[in-house]
Order: sequence, then structure tokens, then C-alpha cells
Amino acid sequence: MTTADVSLRARAHPHLVPLWRGLVVYRAVALVAVVVNLVRFHDQWARPSLGIAVVAAMAVWTVVSSTRYLRTGDPVTACLDLVLTALATASTLLVDTPQRVADGGPVITTVWSAGPVLALAIALGWRGGLAGALVTVTVLFGVRRVVDTDLLFDAQLLLVAGLAVGLAADTMRRSVEKLRAATALEAATAERERLARDIHDGVLQVLSLIKRRGDELARTDRDAPGLELARLAGEQEVALRRLITSTPVAGPDGTVDLSSRLAGVVPAHASLAVPAEPVLLPAAVVDELAAVVREAAHNAAAHAGEDAGLWVLVEDDAARVTVSLRDDGVGIPEGRLEQAAAEGHLGVAGSMRGRVQGLGGTIDLHTAPGEGTEWEIMVPRSLRSRHRQ
Amino acid sequence: MVRVMVVDDHPIWREGVARDLAERGVDVVATAPDGAAAVRIARAVRPDVVLMDLQLPELSGAEATAQVRAALPDTQVLVLSASTEHGDVLGAVRAGATGYLTKSAAMEELVDAIGRTAAGQAVFSPGLAGLVLGEYRRREAEAPDEPQLTPRETEVLRLVAKGLTARAIAARLTLSHRTVENHVQNSLRKLQLTNRVELTRYAIERGLDADD
Repeated sequence: MTTADVSLRARAHPHLVPLWRGLVVYRAVALVAVVVNLVRFHDQWARPSLGIAVVAAMAVWTVVSSTRYLRTGDPVTACLDLVLTALATASTLLVDTPQRVADGGPVITTVWSAGPVLALAIALGWRGGLAGALVTVTVLFGVRRVVDTDLLFDAQLLLVAGLAVGLAADTMRRSVEKLRAATALEAATAERERLARDIHDGVLQVLSLIKRRGDELARTDRDAPGLELARLAGEQEVALRRLITSTPVAGPDGTVDLSSRLAGVVPAHASLAVPAEPVLLPAAVVDELAAVVREAAHNAAAHAGEDAGLWVLVEDDAARVTVSLRDDGVGIPEGRLEQAAAEGHLGVAGSMRGRVQGLGGTIDLHTAPGEGTEWEIMVPRSLRSRHRQ
Repeated sequence: MVRVMVVDDHPIWREGVARDLAERGVDVVATAPDGAAAVRIARAVRPDVVLMDLQLPELSGAEATAQVRAALPDTQVLVLSASTEHGDVLGAVRAGATGYLTKSAAMEELVDAIGRTAAGQAVFSPGLAGLVLGEYRRREAEAPDEPQLTPRETEVLRLVAKGLTARAIAARLTLSHRTVENHVQNSLRKLQLTNRVELTRYAIERGLDADD
């Protein structure tokens, strides 16, 4: 277990490994430049042996840091790298003569000093690159003590390199995260579809069969227990089918599909007619509409009579979303709702109307004794954002 | 007597429906376990109505519907499926099916639907009406050149989707029962018009019927 933990922790972000490899190659090439610099100028230095010792230390650190970068890519090594490189650069003051340094001669670390800037950029993103570049430029200024074109040019290169590599690392990290999320979603969807297929091929078929067989029994004997069986099996079939198709479809910008949401709200025996395309609305609007529909359905079940049917229709066009509910029950006598409201029952009048008006929509009721009730709820698409405030 | 062919990949279901239909005096002339076989057998036995499942092996229900309708213009297709997969259902209707029932429909309903399908009428569930309405709304926005619903057809379809029977719709809109049926059928037919010839023929018919 601990081995697995260690190896997990000790692994560089796999998608950043190409960047680390690039850094390691750069560091090795830069070290060659440092050695060339040493060979050409060591006889002009104030302390050549100290210079050789510093370059040797740089070579050792190049190997050590490269190994660590490739293996773990941790920011601690990058920070340590920044400090050690700054010390090596500063050692120019001891190694070289003050005259050569003042004349703009190369620092002992030359381009090798850009290493920690890149390392910080890869490990910590553009902020790391920026911070590394600023520290390195400050150290260079500390050694040279003049702001000349050389220093400005170096500063420019270090800043650009730090920011560019940092942004690249950020982008890679982000896209990997997105890819991972997308892959997970895809796997979940595939699994859901597989389940739906299995249920469709097995359970749903059997339930429909039970319903039909029950219907047959009831045909020969009106009071057969089969009638009840058939009804129950039929309801379960519808409920199950809705369940496997009703996983809420999420759209862009926090919108969700009203149709799939309503599938979980209307009772199993009710009919739900919706467009093929998802009806995407802000989640808060869908919540409110679902609550209104639940209330209307509940109302229908309580008042329309036991055998009453319930039909729900969802329509979507550019301007508005319309939800219609109809039951074929006993209907509501004229004035009954107003009376209920007057008596203090907020139910239908208050809560449903209130919710719909809160969405900037309208709600209409058509009813008469014996003719059932029909609700029509309209929510304008253009005003839908109003609710979110 | 209406000659029916039952297409379904579940043997228990297929044979069960065939037996129940036969008991009720429907002449089941053939059964088929997949889409390809359905097309092949239908060409041989020329049934009046094909009872078509949607999720079939070999050839999907929608593709089989298109091929049956192309080969046998007088054969009607009634979809009987456990699937409520919207795309599948719309696909079958576009391919030429004139009706759709879910498998939870009662046997009486099915027999009645077969009779109406054989007579050339459309068999619309409220759910199918909702899908068709949605499809025309989409069309209005994305393909305004294709045939659209008339206001009257929209009105009728909405009432179908809200569960009213043709008779109740006729009463509410003070139309004849027959006119309601025609509106429903037209809304389906316009979805099935896929090529220019059909569109032209449709336009001419409309022009001739304009006084109706």
C-alpha cells in the first residue's frame, strides 16, 4: 500500500512530462554554454579555481534537479533551484574581476540561469514563471548594478519565457481536467444507456406482457384479480420507462431540460407529451414549473375523481415555453377558486399563480362542471433570466 | 378481414400478440423477428398492416418502415413499441408509419388501431402529437421553407396531445369528425414529404382542395 502511495505521489503530472523533458534538454545545452564560457574566460577571472568549483557544482545540480523534475516535477525542487541558481549567479562577483563585470561581461551562469524560471512556470503556471523571472532579473541587476540594454533584453526574454511556458502548462493542466471530466461523463452515460437497454429488453417487456395477460383474464371475468394486476404492471412499466429516460439533461450555462424533469413529477398513469429536443431553461425556472405542475397534478388527483385521466403537454418555441395540463374529471364550479381564496386556502390561486407570475409568465384556467379542468402555463423565454436575480 | 404482420424481436411477445389478435378475428398472416426479415416477408405476403417494433436487430424499425412503404405503397405501418425514445418514434413517422402505440396499450385499443390504420387513418397518441408539434416548431425555426402546420392543424394536434378524442375535438371546434381526422393525417403526411415530387403533388392537392 505504502509503495503505491509513494509511487503515486512521486510521479510528475503525466501530461506535463514533455515540458519537463524540454527543460532538462535546455538545462543540459545551457550547461555546455557555461563550460564554453569557462574555457574561454577562466584565465581572465580573479579566482579561476573558484569558478571551476562553481561550474562543477552547477553540473551536479543539473543532474540532480533534472532527475527530480522528470520523476516528480515538484515545486519545491524548482524553488530550491531558484535559490541555488541565484547563488551561482551571484558568485560571479567573487569569481570574476569587478572591472569585467562592470564592462558587461557574461555572468558565470549565462543562459543556465533561466532554468528555474521555466521550472517554476511548469510547476506553478504563469504566476510561478512570472515570480521566477522577477527574482532572476533582480539577481542579475544585483550583480551588474547597471540597467543597460543587455539587462533589459535578458529581463524581457525571461519574462516572456516564464509567462509563455506557464500559460502553456496551465492550459495543458486545464484541458487534461476537462478531458477527464468528459471521459467520466461519457462512461456514466454509456453505463446508463446499457442499463436502460437491459431494462428495456427484459423487465419492460415482461411488465407489458403481464399487463396484457391480466387484461385477458379480466375480459373473461370482470372481477378477476387480473384486472388489478394488469393495472399495476402497466403503471410500473410506464414508471420504469420514464425512470430510465428521465435522467435530467443538463444544458449549457446551468440550464436543465424541463421535459425530463416533468417526467419525474407527473404521476405514472398520466400522459406526458413533449418535443423530441430538450426544453432547456434555467434550473431555477424548471424547479418552479415542476412545483406548479406537481401541485396541479396533485389537485387533479384529489378533486377530479378516481378514474379521471391527466394529460400534460410541453411546447417550446422561440418566444415562450407552454405547459398545458388537462384532466377529464368533474371540473371546478365557477367561483369555487375565488371562494377558496377568500376562505384563506391559498392552494391553487395563491401558490400556483404566485410562482408563475414570479417567472414573468401567465397561468390560465378553463373549467366547468363536468368538463374537467385545463391549465395553461406560459413562461416567456426572454424574461426567464429575471427570476435568477 | 385485415391482414396483419407482427414484427418484434422478442419471441414471447411476438407470438403472444399474434395469438391474441387471431382470437379477436384479426388475420395474422406472418411474423418476423428482425427488420430485414420484415421487409423480405412483407414483400412476399403483402399484409394490409405491419405492426412494427422499433428496436430491431438487422434493420431498425424506422428503416424497415421506409423500405416496406417504398416497396408496398398500400401497406400501412403501425408502430407498437416499448420504446419512447423520441428520435426513434419521429424517425418511424417520417419513414411513413401512420400510427404509434406503446406496448402498454390495451388489446382493444390495439385492435381498434389496426382497423383504423388499415382504413388509412392516423393513429395518434397524445405523446406522438407532442413530438410532432415539437418537430414542426423546430422546423418553423430551422427550415421555414418546408411545409408547416396550418393554425387549424396546430389547434387540433394540441387537443390530441391533451388527450381529447377525435369526437371531443370535433365537438369543441365545431368541425366534423372526418375533418378532424383529415387535419391529423395531413400533419403526419407533411412530415413524410421528403422529395420535390411529393412536395409538388402535395401543393397541387392542397390547391385543388382549397375550397374544402
